[in-house]
Amino acid sequence: MKLLSIALAFGLICALGPMPGVPLTQAQSRQKVARKNLRYSCPMHPDVMSSRPGKCPRCGMALRVARNSPATSPTSVPVIKDTEDPFSFSSSQIPDSKVMDQNGKPLSFYSDLIKNKTVAINFIFTTCTTICPPLTATFRRVQQELRKTGQNVHLISVSVDPSIDTPERLHDFAAKFNAGPGWTFVTGEKSEIDGLLKALGVAVADKNDHTPLILIGNDLTGFWTRSYGLSSPATLIKTITDVASHK
Amino acid sequence: MLLFIGFVLVMSCVCFSRFGSMVVTAQNSLAASESRGKQIYIRGTSPSGKSVLAYFGDSSLELPGSSMPCANCHGLDGHGKPEGGVTPTNLAWDALTKPYGVSHPNGRRHPPYTERAMELAITRGIDPGGNKLLSVMPRYTLSVEDMADLMAYLKLVGKDFDPGITEGKIVLGTAGPTKGPLADMSQASRAVTTAFFDELNSQGGIYNRRFEVKFIETAETPAATRAAMDRWLSDDEIFAFSGIVIAGSEKDLLPLMAERGIPLIGPLTLYPETGGQLNRQVFYLLSGIEGQARAFVEFAASKAELKNQSIAVVFNQGERSSSVLQAINEQSKKDGFATPRAFDYLAGQFDPAFTVRQLKAANCNLVFFLSGGKDALSFMAEAAKIDWYPSTFVVGASSEIFGAPFGFSEKIFLSFPTSPADQSPEGVREFSALAEKYKLPKQHLATQISAFSSAKILAEAIRRVGKDLSREKLIQALEGLYQYQTGLTPAITYGPNRRIGAIGAYIIKVDLKEKQFLPAGGWISVN
Repeated sequence: MKLLSIALAFGLICALGPMPGVPLTQAQSRQKVARKNLRYSCPMHPDVMSSRPGKCPRCGMALRVARNSPATSPTSVPVIKDTEDPFSFSSSQIPDSKVMDQNGKPLSFYSDLIKNKTVAINFIFTTCTTICPPLTATFRRVQQELRKTGQNVHLISVSVDPSIDTPERLHDFAAKFNAGPGWTFVTGEKSEIDGLLKALGVAVADKNDHTPLILIGNDLTGFWTRSYGLSSPATLIKTITDVASHK
Repeated sequence: MLLFIGFVLVMSCVCFSRFGSMVVTAQNSLAASESRGKQIYIRGTSPSGKSVLAYFGDSSLELPGSSMPCANCHGLDGHGKPEGGVTPTNLAWDALTKPYGVSHPNGRRHPPYTERAMELAITRGIDPGGNKLLSVMPRYTLSVEDMADLMAYLKLVGKDFDPGITEGKIVLGTAGPTKGPLADMSQASRAVTTAFFDELNSQGGIYNRRFEVKFIETAETPAATRAAMDRWLSDDEIFAFSGIVIAGSEKDLLPLMAERGIPLIGPLTLYPETGGQLNRQVFYLLSGIEGQARAFVEFAASKAELKNQSIAVVFNQGERSSSVLQAINEQSKKDGFATPRAFDYLAGQFDPAFTVRQLKAANCNLVFFLSGGKDALSFMAEAAKIDWYPSTFVVGASSEIFGAPFGFSEKIFLSFPTSPADQSPEGVREFSALAEKYKLPKQHLATQISAFSSAKILAEAIRRVGKDLSREKLIQALEGLYQYQTGLTPAITYGPNRRIGAIGAYIIKVDLKEKQFLPAGGWISVN
């Protein structure tokens, strides 16, 4: 009987495992944060990223601490300077593609949507269910917050799947997320949109591989930067504000 | 000693959990709590009506659960749909509760999940190892009961079949009236659908599944039909519908299919719903009035003598006419015609003399009649009196049109969504073999052809999906059909934005002297 109850207790402990939600001491949590900020990547496969040391799942090499990973920077989404990153982008690279908005209205991408404006552009498609809803919901929050502070920033969502995303589909999608005025959803002929995506540096072969990236730019100052679309609205707003007020 | 006992205990747990998972591999009908949980999983709403909320992006963004239900990212099968560098976890309960813990492709590792740990992951975004889950995974709040339901379903995700499917059987439905003017037609359609799947069964079914076709009798009024169908579907599980005769109750039945997520192939109707939001579940075979009217315009645009005329559209008022009129307007704009002039009248109060005067004054030499042959005939009789013979396109006319004045010979055009030219020798052979073997009725051949083609398309899509069949995969397979030859209809193409298999029509000229129909142009396709 006694043995059984001991065994039961043992089994119980096994089943519970490490207790979730037990508060860490301050020192522990600091250490944890420090370690958390380190990212490891494979020397041969830079896209393999891990939060802990280990082996690369593709080639088996030991992972090393990644140098330029965004997570090691002080803010989780840094404004990337040309010296640190090959990213350099200017308004002159943006074509005047013939596109349509969610109401089927024909637009010229650069002259109607970018020229003399501060804009934030993300990339979506309406049949995408994993990252597009969070991307769009984040954009919606960004729009609300920016309006509160009276900033005039135009939001643009470009469909990466123009052959399926008709203006009607985009309209429904926009309505689902309560997109307000000052937010244009863009689709058009596949060849036009493909050219646009290529020019913006976000073309992918498979729509499911499209990155949750946001292009933020100020056409008046010619300053452009990129941001991770799934970061918190507050971080995005800060980046956008920086770009809008960039001299 | 203690250690040993502990080991034995753990091992026996392992065995039990393995064994447990074996038992539920072929789950058919769900328990009440499981099916409630399934709704929460798929739609992010609770059957109890209590709120399900998602908090996203460091919990600063509150959204209704319906905008981020579990299935959005983890998929209906729980395997996860990777997109843009985000790889949602595979939710298979066996995989998450492996006794030696779980390690994810990104290096995250944690001990096995328990119900409590799963609750924490859902509500607070922490895995059993205390790791914070990605911020893309929202944190949810839901009532205790809803959480229990969801938990019940999470143990089944990926193992349950959609309603109407079991390991060895697929239950299909067909429907129609058994009384009234459409009764014969509906019986013919039912006979063909049943025969088609019986024949498939006699050849071994598809992927070792046999078909069972259930017939649902529709009532006399649309509302009663909807109620009957709703009641029926609550008791009986039907995977998909094929070839149903629903003329008149489209507006009531089609939304029901959407609500319940049941695919429906080839409903017999003249008014396929194409405008605005697509009803994802409903796949039509042929163009209705709208598509045929578009084909008329396209046809007129291709003829030099008709190209520069102005168009008049004559119709009796009704909600349906307006969508057809809109289609004609759009197509005219595309084909370079001036905006058509619309002449409407109240049903039963058509004034042919007045209409002729108006149209003549407006110099409209292309007249579209949307409301049947009778009014068109009285119009033509009146026009002949003043020796005026405009080209007249009549939608929905039949042999009564031979009564038109002689001056209109070869000036009257009719449209048909399909013609005998579409029938290939193989298609005809297949159909007649079926008709002979199952003693199909001789009447309503067009209806039978429609039912046969619907069944053939459904069977083809089920074959393309494979053994791992679900309604969602069926819809995707149907959307992938391109130029599919049924052998009896024009080639069928569907797509994510396309629910009419063959968009277009054959345009036929009426020869009044010999009382015959002459082909005026081949298949006019409209896109």
